[in-house]
Amino acid sequence: MNNYETLFVIKPTLTDEETTAQIAKVTAILEREGAEILAIDNMGMRKLAYPVQKNKRGLYTIIYFKAAGTIINELERNLKFNEEVIKYLTVRYSNTKEVAQFKKLVTAATKIEEATKAEETAKAEEAPEAEAPTTTTETVEA
Amino acid sequence: MAERRKFKKRYCKYCESKVDFIDYKDLSLLKFSLSERFKIMPRRLTGNCKRHQELVTVAIKRARQTALIPYIVDRKNVVENPFELIR
Repeated sequence: MNNYETLFVIKPTLTDEETTAQIAKVTAILEREGAEILAIDNMGMRKLAYPVQKNKRGLYTIIYFKAAGTIINELERNLKFNEEVIKYLTVRYSNTKEVAQFKKLVTAATKIEEATKAEETAKAEEAPEAEAPTTTTETVEA
Repeated sequence: MAERRKFKKRYCKYCESKVDFIDYKDLSLLKFSLSERFKIMPRRLTGNCKRHQELVTVAIKRARQTALIPYIVDRKNVVENPFELIR
């Protein structure tokens, strides 16, 4: 089992639902092949340094996982044939220093994940309260 | 021939900040070793030690592959602020 990190860039033209579906597709491949996913980091929309397939921006996603080396072929084959993915890069973290850095990256990514989740739940709790006053103002105007 | 040193003694910036590993996604670390045209700066100009220079070249090449930093900046493809991407 090795430590791997895969970065892939999704086309900017897709909707939010489609991008989450694409990310789910990649994680599904990994899970099917028996990889242990440690963290998923959404870097979000970024400007590309040079145009890739006429796209100027891209949605960066990084997946940290533990897996046997044999599954990388299958993963990269899938990414290659996926037309929504414009760039991908898989990096192995093998020696002790790299592994230490890998662990740091994973903990950082999980922290960000937890923070965004907490924000989302907070927003979901606030949302009904926020909706209530707007409806009242509308009725007043009407 | 005790010629005076004209410039400040160079030192490895990565050694000073005790960097063990250079991540290709961390562009603020790569910045030291890039010229304004995004070329990899030679060791004789930056003063990087050999170990860190090797780490940083690999990181820069990976960052180029993933479109985080450009391969070249030429007159056809003018960037107003080249370090806009890195900050």
